[in-house]
Order: sequence, then C-alpha cells, then structure tokens
Amino acid sequence: MRLEIGKINITDIRFAEESKIEKGVLFINPETLKPVVLEDEKIKDVVFDIAKPGESVRITPVKDVIEPRVKVEGKGGVFPGMVSKVETVGSGKTLALKGMAVVTAGKIVGFQEGIIDMTGVGAQYTPFSKTLNLCMVCEPVEGLKQHDYEKAVRMAGFRVAAKIGELARGLEADETCVYETTGIKEGIEKYPDLPRVGYVSMLQTQGLLHDTYVYGVDAKQIIPTIISPTEAMDGAIVSGNCVSACDKNPTYVHQNNPVIEDLFAQHGKTLNFVCQIITNENVYLADKERSSNMTAKLCRMLDLDGVIVTQEGFGNPDTDLIMNCKKIEAEGVKTVIVTDEYAGRDGKSQSLADADAAADAVVTGGNANEVVILPKLDKVIGMLDYVNKIAGASEDTLRADGTLEVELQVITGATNEMGFGTLSAR
Amino acid sequence: MVKELERAGLPVVHVCTVTPISLTVGANRIVPAIAIPHPLGNPALDKDEEKALRRKLVLKALKALETEVDGQKVFED
Repeated sequence: MRLEIGKINITDIRFAEESKIEKGVLFINPETLKPVVLEDEKIKDVVFDIAKPGESVRITPVKDVIEPRVKVEGKGGVFPGMVSKVETVGSGKTLALKGMAVVTAGKIVGFQEGIIDMTGVGAQYTPFSKTLNLCMVCEPVEGLKQHDYEKAVRMAGFRVAAKIGELARGLEADETCVYETTGIKEGIEKYPDLPRVGYVSMLQTQGLLHDTYVYGVDAKQIIPTIISPTEAMDGAIVSGNCVSACDKNPTYVHQNNPVIEDLFAQHGKTLNFVCQIITNENVYLADKERSSNMTAKLCRMLDLDGVIVTQEGFGNPDTDLIMNCKKIEAEGVKTVIVTDEYAGRDGKSQSLADADAAADAVVTGGNANEVVILPKLDKVIGMLDYVNKIAGASEDTLRADGTLEVELQVITGATNEMGFGTLSAR
Repeated sequence: MVKELERAGLPVVHVCTVTPISLTVGANRIVPAIAIPHPLGNPALDKDEEKALRRKLVLKALKALETEVDGQKVFED
C-alpha cells in the first residue's frame, strides 16, 4: 500500500467570519463549527477557544487530541467507521494540517482526563504545548451518563477535525512524504537480505471508558490482526479513552505514530517493515491469553525476525505486554518493548506490574509518578474543578498560591509509550 | 500483602484475575478470579446465578487454603 501525506503547515489560528486556510493561517468561524458539534443532541453547548505555544494557558480536563486531515485521493475518508464509511483507507493521498490540533475537553469522568499547559514546566512534558490548539469544551445535557458523554465528545471531535481538514482540500502541500509497504512475496524478493520487522501495537481496551476503536469496532472485541501502517495515518485507529493522561494514546498519536514513522524511515535501508499487528488489553485473563497467543502466532506466520511492541496505559496491561514479549520471543522473534514506569515518587519501586527475563530490551517513556510543580497560569480553558481528583493528583494538588503539585501522570502525553514524548532513561 | 502475611506464618490464598502477576510477585496459593473490574462477581449475571458464582469462588479459596502446596500453585477448575 502506498500513501502520500501532504503536509500543510499551519502557522496561526484565528477566529474570523470566513473559515479558510490562507498562507498557512487557519481562519475559523466558531459559529459555523458549533452546529457540527450540536448535531448530537447529547451535547448542550460547546465553547471554542484557541491556545498557542508559549501562552499562559492551561487546558483541562483534556479528553482527546486530533490532527485534522482530509483524504484527497484513494479509497475512503478520514476516521473510517466513525465519521466516514468503513472503506479500507491507507492508500492514495491525504492532506494533514501540521502544527495544529483539535483538543476536546470536558469533565467526562472527572478524574481521568488530562492537563495541557502551553507554557512553564508542564509545557516541557506535553507534546501538545508545541501545537496551535483549537480547543472545544463540550457541556453535556443534564443527566447524561458518562459513557454517552464520552461517545458524544469523541464523535464531535472527529466531526470537527474532519470539517477543518476539508478546508485543506485543493491546497498545495508544503511538503509531501510517501509511505509504502509491499506485499509479503514482493518484500522478500525486493529486500532478501534485510531483517523482516513488524510493529505490535497494543490498544487500550479495558472497557469502562478505557477503549480504542478500529474502523468503528470496539477493539476489545477483536482478535489480533494485521493492518498496513498507513491505515492508522488515515484515522483507522482512534482513541475513546478516559484513562491516565500521561500514557494514553490520543488519536493524534495514532495518526502520527513515531514508531511507524521511524520504521518507515529505515524501510528498505536497514530493515523491511512488513506490517502493523494490532492487539488489545482486555480485563479477562482468557482474553489476555488468547490475544497474546494470536499475536505471537501472527509474528511466526509472517516470518518476522523482530518486532517493536508498544503498550498503552499501565497496571494490568503490563501483563499483556509481558505475555506478548514472552510468547513472541518463544517463537524465535526478537522483541523490543516500549512502556513507561510507575516506580513511585522516589523512583525506587518496581516499574512494571509484571516482568520476565525475555523482556531484555526495554525502552521507557519515563516515570509517571515523578512529581512536578506546575505554575499558576493566567487562563484556564475548561475548568479546574477536577484538578485535585485526576489520576496523579491529590487533595493537596491545588496550593494556596495557585500552583499545582502533581505527578507527571496528569499531563497529557508526558510518558507516552509510543515514544511520542521527550522523556526516557538509559 | 500476601507475602508479608505468609512470612508471619499465616497461609494465604490470593484470589486475583491476573494470575501471571500473582506468580511474578510470589504468591503460593492462587485462585483465578472473574475479571479485573469485578474480580469476585459478574454483574452480567442474574442475582441467583451471581450468588452461586460467588459461593463457588469462596469455597474454592477455602479449599485452596487447606491444601498443602509445594511452591506456587494456581487452582484452576
């Protein structure tokens, strides 16, 4: 499969009468976006705001981060099975608005959304302090249940991102990248001497609003399967997660997965990037066993020499990670696992809930329990109501002087387990 | 907790969903539970069915408690 990603660099976002993209500036009329959100009767109101890098702005409670894209050539549309038909995506041409993101916010669960600071210490930890953020704070109708609220905000985010992406249709890309994978036979013939490498992507699927969707399917109901890595770039995998902010994978990260980017960069040079294998992280032991069995079997059947395995979340998914690692290695396929750590505030506790000698090549995204003090910022997009309750905070989080004492856990993307963040260790 | 109680001389049964973690941390008597969000029950069942399920799990744990073990053992069905 061959996909071209045309990058449209966005250098500023401004509210204006007419929505358009001109010379890299995204002009948005929020009044025309409102109906896109409010077409779902479960959302009572939405407030749009803009947060720019360096501004004294805190966005919270953050649910998802999404990159606006539009499909201009090839089959299907962005976010298939969600806002476009379930056509197979990942080929043709897609335009992406770079340097910006749509950020959805709302007090869905209250304690499982995140914080994005646009300046100060917090900004150094979240990758989304570097993007121009079009924020949408969604207020639910009265009495709406949490899972309905989650779905409403999730879908509204995709509709808005798709609508903004449409503004790029017909524009000339500032830069174009080509991503191409071959069929199995072609790959072996073309790169006979290169190691065959796959990417095992573990999707958070614990349920109770810890969910990921693939082509519209709740991924806890899938058995592991293979996809072309370019499918994720068109939004085939999306986040429906309300879970600790630091190591959940927002939709933006699936669209811009750094593991996929780096494997493509080496494709045909030092390795043959064969495919992406997607698997889940369920709450029944039998599911964990079945999914890791299937994943290991797929690695064997594809004759892979090595795989990179990335995790999402922590705790019992550590067992899925270790099961995958152990069983894939037992098939004679080398693994590198990418995770993060909950090693306590002093960093001295056991980092993962599970372990095995087979996990001898590990990349960490950092210690989520590390404490940081976030400064008081001038403006809050969203609300601070839940700042003492989110995972990684405590009742003493909001201090008298307005600063926040928190664990990295509260910061969206701080210890991302696809390597999207900046933290690591040696 | 399991290990400290055993160190103090009390036999312990660890009822848990993710038995591999229990094995990693070193529990000796392990009884598999239902699921992570509801280890000791199943909200999808009727009240009567769930009571039976719960009773079965407790009896199984008690049975494990009185069973002599030589190292780690997972009490499957």
